[in-house]
Amino acid sequence: MTPRLRAWALSAPALFLVALFLGLPVLSTLATTFGDPKGPFAQYAAFFDSRFRMTVLWRTMEVAVITTTISVIVGFMTAWVVAKSPARIKSLLIIAAVFPLLTGVVVRSFAWLIILGKNGILNDTLLWLGLISEPLSMLYTQFSVTIAMVYLFVPLMILTLVGVLEAIPQDLTEAAASLGATPAAAFRQVVLPMAVPGLIVGSVLVFTGSFTSYATPQLLGGERQMMMGTFLYQRAMVTFDWVGASTIAAVMVVVTLTTVLVMSKLARRLNPVAG
Amino acid sequence: MPQTVFAPWDDPAEKPLIQFKGVTKRFGDFTAIDNIDLDIYAREFFALLGPSGCGKTTLMRMLAGFETPTEGKILLSGQDIGPVPPNQRAVNMMFQSYALFPHLTIWDNIAFGLRREGRDKAAIEARVEEMLKLTRLAKFAKRKPHQISGGQRQRVALARSLAKAPKLLLLDEPLGALDRKLREETQFELMDIQEKTGTTFVIVTHDQEEAMTVASRVAVMDEGKLMQVSTPDAIYEAPSSVYVADFIGDVNIIEGKAHQTGTKLQIDWAEGQPALSATTTKNFDLGQTCYMAIRPEKIAISADRPSGANVLQGEILDIAYLGNISTYHVKLPTGHVIKAQQANTRRISRREFTWEDKVWISWTDTAAVVLAQ
Ligand SMILES: Nc1ncnc2c1ncn2[C@@H]1O[C@H](COP(=O)(O)OP(=O)(O)O)[C@@H](O)[C@H]1O
Ligand SMILES: [Mg+2]
Repeated sequence: MTPRLRAWALSAPALFLVALFLGLPVLSTLATTFGDPKGPFAQYAAFFDSRFRMTVLWRTMEVAVITTTISVIVGFMTAWVVAKSPARIKSLLIIAAVFPLLTGVVVRSFAWLIILGKNGILNDTLLWLGLISEPLSMLYTQFSVTIAMVYLFVPLMILTLVGVLEAIPQDLTEAAASLGATPAAAFRQVVLPMAVPGLIVGSVLVFTGSFTSYATPQLLGGERQMMMGTFLYQRAMVTFDWVGASTIAAVMVVVTLTTVLVMSKLARRLNPVAG
Repeated sequence: MPQTVFAPWDDPAEKPLIQFKGVTKRFGDFTAIDNIDLDIYAREFFALLGPSGCGKTTLMRMLAGFETPTEGKILLSGQDIGPVPPNQRAVNMMFQSYALFPHLTIWDNIAFGLRREGRDKAAIEARVEEMLKLTRLAKFAKRKPHQISGGQRQRVALARSLAKAPKLLLLDEPLGALDRKLREETQFELMDIQEKTGTTFVIVTHDQEEAMTVASRVAVMDEGKLMQVSTPDAIYEAPSSVYVADFIGDVNIIEGKAHQTGTKLQIDWAEGQPALSATTTKNFDLGQTCYMAIRPEKIAISADRPSGANVLQGEILDIAYLGNISTYHVKLPTGHVIKAQQANTRRISRREFTWEDKVWISWTDTAAVVLAQ
């Protein structure tokens, strides 16, 4: 067997599973969206014509972009602190960062219900401090969805970036210092450019994750803050509009695939050790 | 025409560029540098030599400002540099790993330090071009570090370090990653550059030949202490301890008891054997344990008994053929194995000695150094 053939043979079981349980369903889902009697693209025309559906799409985009941006900033700062701490503290910090990932998404979203609710911890505290005179309604807003989403995805960003930052040799920042760079300049000129590929990977993970999320918008956004994931569920399971649901799924696949492709192209372009 | 010898360390009027004053560095309760006093002079090519883990890198990192001494002071041009952060020291460190910035081109790597100084564009350009020329890298200016060879990377690191014309350049095992031939070439290149730029170099190495080749003076270190600081020939010909003698080059050590009369020394070294003779300027007590250190190349080997101060007979145990020279391991009746070297001035087929031959070895009374420890 040639090495090439052997590689194929080894990956055959996995390929088969992916084809059977991912490729086929996705293709058949996509196929149904083109089967409209009014023409193959009628479903899509209807989607992009509908004010409501476009609002949901834009809201989802907005939440995903804001979540990604905040996660990048918070995650980078945290990852920096973690990567720079001594070995023992570092493993404690990483465990602390990963811990939320060990509980389910639903549990973590419920926690925010308790915090942000009318009689929740946050309102109680603000009332007690006298900062507000009556409880704010924070649940079922874009704010509540975004904050829960950030909480959900920051650990992922931290994990991605700690690895990237740790892989930047200390020699490089020391060499920069030796050449006269202040700590801030060394960070801007050396650390940041070298962390770009990691930032892109982390951003793609968070963006696609938050764009396609279901449980968090369901619990913290409800009907009022419908997002693509919850909208899809509603179409499929409440109104049993399978073709409509498939169209939503297709739009989601296109958005995430485009993001992944554009970002990986960008990552290759910005890769510090490329051409 | 009298040639002036570069030896600022012998001139009491000369002010050292760097002074270590009672410097100790501890990591936890481990002492990496143990109370070191050391002066290094401007324009010196100073080599730190010692086994792995003896504290060479730590000493350098203190000079560069990446570690602070636990005790003692380091002065640069008479100024205590303790409170000065690395980026404000007129010192540059070239890392063992080269630490080139992988995201920048060779050109930008070299310009990095100049840009931090905020020099104007034309000045930076001129300086970078100059450095590229000096290190013969002009052709590679637009490449990134991963697109050039190890030897070229090493030159980039050097060019980058020299670009700002630091007072002091620290080189931590700069040639470690190069193969032998390239390393030797680069050693001469380094010496050439050092001479052209007049920068003071402190080089760390664990390769004694490298230290001997490039350095104006060599410091031999062991476990955080300086064992000897001297010129390469003095280190080789007049080591101050068995440790130094053994660390630099090959040496035979014969232990014995001293009998001194003036500068003449008789050494009883084995039962029923005539005493060995040597000369020394040191003083040994009667019967004091001493060590005779003789370099293999100073021991002659012959088939017939020669005349001389120290003559011994033995049998050839082993021959290490190194091309230009051969080292003969001669076993004496006392059990000592003495190494004697001979240049291979004839082709192999016509060499005089072979395994198990009975031979005579001899050396003069000035060939050996006698050491107290
Ligand atoms: N940051 C540090 N923490 C603890 N021990 C260290 C540290 N840096 C160096 N050492 C120890 O100090 C000793 C000297 O190290 P180093 O200066 O790197 O040696 P060399 O460069 O001569 O090989 C070694 O035993 C090393 O383990
Ligand atoms: Mg070292």
